[in-house]
Amino acid sequence: MSPARNTPRRVTGAGKIPLAVEILSRLTIALRVPDILRSLGYPREATPPAQVVRSARQILTEARPWLQPHGTYALYAVTRLTAHSLEIGGATIAGNISEILHGAERVAVFMVTVGSEISRQAEARCRVGDAFAGLTLDAIGSWAAEAAAEALMKQLGSQLRPGESFTLRYSPGYCGMNLKQQRTLFKLAPAGSVGISLLPTLLMQPLKSISGIVGLGPRKVVGIHLSPCERCPQIGCHMRR
Amino acid sequence: MADFSRLREAVLTGNAPAAVAATRQALDAGVNPVELVNQAISPAMEEVGRLYEAGEYFVPELLLAARATKEVFQLIRPLLAQKDVPPAARVVLGTVQGDLHDIGKNLVGAMLEGGGFEVIDLGVNVAPEKFVLAVEEKQAQIVGLSALLTTTMPAMKKTLEVFRTAGIRGRVKVMIGGAPITQSYADSIGADAFGQNAGAAVAIARKLAGR
Repeated sequence: MSPARNTPRRVTGAGKIPLAVEILSRLTIALRVPDILRSLGYPREATPPAQVVRSARQILTEARPWLQPHGTYALYAVTRLTAHSLEIGGATIAGNISEILHGAERVAVFMVTVGSEISRQAEARCRVGDAFAGLTLDAIGSWAAEAAAEALMKQLGSQLRPGESFTLRYSPGYCGMNLKQQRTLFKLAPAGSVGISLLPTLLMQPLKSISGIVGLGPRKVVGIHLSPCERCPQIGCHMRR
Repeated sequence: MADFSRLREAVLTGNAPAAVAATRQALDAGVNPVELVNQAISPAMEEVGRLYEAGEYFVPELLLAARATKEVFQLIRPLLAQKDVPPAARVVLGTVQGDLHDIGKNLVGAMLEGGGFEVIDLGVNVAPEKFVLAVEEKQAQIVGLSALLTTTMPAMKKTLEVFRTAGIRGRVKVMIGGAPITQSYADSIGADAFGQNAGAAVAIARKLAGR
């Protein structure tokens, strides 16, 4: 099914102030050994060695207290949406994302993190020569950050009106959104309130953090849109959906 | 003729205690440590690399095998030094200036140590001048640069420029890697090699070291 054509749409009266802001100091995530094995590179059909499964299970048990998933979002009305730009909160986000967010009447800018301890522990293990444990802890941190983003989406569900659903979520550096858009996202959401900062190189700290945007709109419109993965040449992208 | 199958198998299956035990037994029996490297460790690691390229082994298996060989090398390194056998090469590793990612670099370091290289890990956010100092101090033959963001990739080019200015570019081989790095980028900045993943690191380093 081909996507509907974008036409510029301007909403008058909407301003820079978000419609809603929420700080989620504790997000509930579930981590399972199969998820970690997938994050370590094993495809579903692979049978990892018993030693790897055993070690992953042990390291996951050890790692749970080092994960503090939390996040925030700010919800804005879409003030302008064209083929190549999105205006929310007085800021402009450029790129294909406006096409991807077709049908969205509101957009949430979100940030989640699992904290810095998991990365510190991963680095410490590598330093003492246990690269396998370091890799596994790093994989746990990455998977936990994704799980935290999904948990935030569940919380954001409280903002959906009857008949609405979400678009897919997008992050800078993926799906045609330039990494430089990170600066705009950090202006739109209260990242500092959840301890996430942005370095001049656009690296987020803590490392295991995710930022992004997601659209909210009538299910009949946002739901029919193609995933950008259908047209993306990056076959090996770990975010492919 | 000595039987190296137990040591080879232990490395292949990432069984560090078994690898160390087999090594001790071989040394006690008077086996030359150079033979251990040539007849057991190197062939086993080559097979590990082949299995990885074939999609039968994954990064965890690589690391477990590398850990096994690293422990074996810790045991035999003093004996190799006595016989004036140097490491495969000295490699200075670092994540470039502005970038704090270290897992990829650490995996490459683990693989290289398992492959008999001496690794000097400078950590993350490494200024070009620090790489130069390390090369000069340690007489390194290879430098490995890691970057994980498109915004920090330019630091690789800058590092190579500083190498030229410092007069060391001709003395070292430079290999680069990281998620946004491509062969095309490596060619454009004049790097000697590009590694798609940690699994390829040992083979690339051996080639750069002329082995």
